[in-house]
Amino acid sequence: MKQIVGVADMKVSNNPAESIITYSLGSCIGLVIYDPVVKVGGMLHYMLPESSIDKEKAAARPYMFADSGIPRLFKTAYSMGAVKQRLKIYAAGGAEILDQKGFFNIGKRNYMALKKMFFKNNVIIDKQDIGGNINRTVRLEIATGDIYVKTSGLGEVKI
Amino acid sequence: MTSLQTLLKEIQNLKPIPAVTNQLLAAVDAPGSSMETIAQVIQYDPVITASILKTCNTAYFGLKHPAESIKDAVSMLGIDQVIELALIKSGVQTLSGAQEGYGLEAGDMWQYSVSSAIIAKQVAIKLALKNKSTIFTSALIKDIGKIILEKYVSNTSGKIAYLVEHKKFSFLEAEKKILGIDHAELGAMIAKQWKFSPRMIKIIRHHHLSDETMIKDKEIAAVYLADCICMMMGTGVGADGLAYRFKNKVIKELNMSADDITMIIAEFGINMKAVEALLHIV
Repeated sequence: MKQIVGVADMKVSNNPAESIITYSLGSCIGLVIYDPVVKVGGMLHYMLPESSIDKEKAAARPYMFADSGIPRLFKTAYSMGAVKQRLKIYAAGGAEILDQKGFFNIGKRNYMALKKMFFKNNVIIDKQDIGGNINRTVRLEIATGDIYVKTSGLGEVKI
Repeated sequence: MTSLQTLLKEIQNLKPIPAVTNQLLAAVDAPGSSMETIAQVIQYDPVITASILKTCNTAYFGLKHPAESIKDAVSMLGIDQVIELALIKSGVQTLSGAQEGYGLEAGDMWQYSVSSAIIAKQVAIKLALKNKSTIFTSALIKDIGKIILEKYVSNTSGKIAYLVEHKKFSFLEAEKKILGIDHAELGAMIAKQWKFSPRMIKIIRHHHLSDETMIKDKEIAAVYLADCICMMMGTGVGADGLAYRFKNKVIKELNMSADDITMIIAEFGINMKAVEALLHIV
């Protein structure tokens, strides 16, 4: 069974029959976490780096922003038995348009927000597929923790 | 290179967008046009009327009493919403198919087009631009050229990808180099054949701002910026991905800040459910 993570959305599961998928990551980031011991996996699809831009929207849609979405992803996985030290972490997305610069480079800012938060909390990304000018779809299988990435126009690749 | 004669023939064979689209845009733009005139134009097309009523009466809009006529719909949802529904409905048949050359599955281009139109409207509101319906429709159909160009792109995809990946070409520049025409130029030719207004033809022609002097035209700049934002959002984006040029100048020209862009993205995120509802117009 497929659990779809929409834009500004999150899903966490411990059902081995399920896979979690998010489509079409452009400058957004798809963050995947997985604990292989308890087989708990989660995925967040956030659009923007900081919720301070609009507190009201952050309250309504916390998964829209890195700083309000990422802690929720981890806490939900912990509540289902996942342990921080065992988590495998994968990030994809953060693509940019050609010549996009500075503050207008949302993809890069989204990735920097993730790095900053992980640095503060001693979290290390195991694998990533970040940047470039491509659109990505990411899928996680709960039973195995296998992660697959599909780039628009090409086939799905196991990472 | 693609022969112009072949392309012109293909444009003629393309099933045109319903005539009501042009009539509606003309009615909206006409000075002193009333809600009644606009409602009449829509009512003239029974398929679009039925579709609008069906959509209005879905749970999403939460109307207390079902809308039984376009007049009802206008009084319940407002004229702008009804115009938008009519414009969206008029594009669905042409834009919802798969475009394999661009790596777009059925529905992808439609999702991108509707999202882009909604973002363009947000930009137009932010900039207090007048021709919102023209901007909305131009953003909705700006990629129409891809419908014909896709098989030529498919046949030369290796060459195009090589230029993009190794020679720093944008996808549009690579189309032009390999095929002799890009999807914006071809889109403008189609829009001309379909008798869209010169304004819309111009917006479609320049929606990637390959001619940077067009940046001064606020409506073109608005549609361009909406397209960039939509690319960043990623929904319905194909194999061409984000391989288009971002003109940093456009931000200055439109007097927008990074926060303004972020707010538009956040607003769109909140409205995603509305987009989903609009996508299911049949």
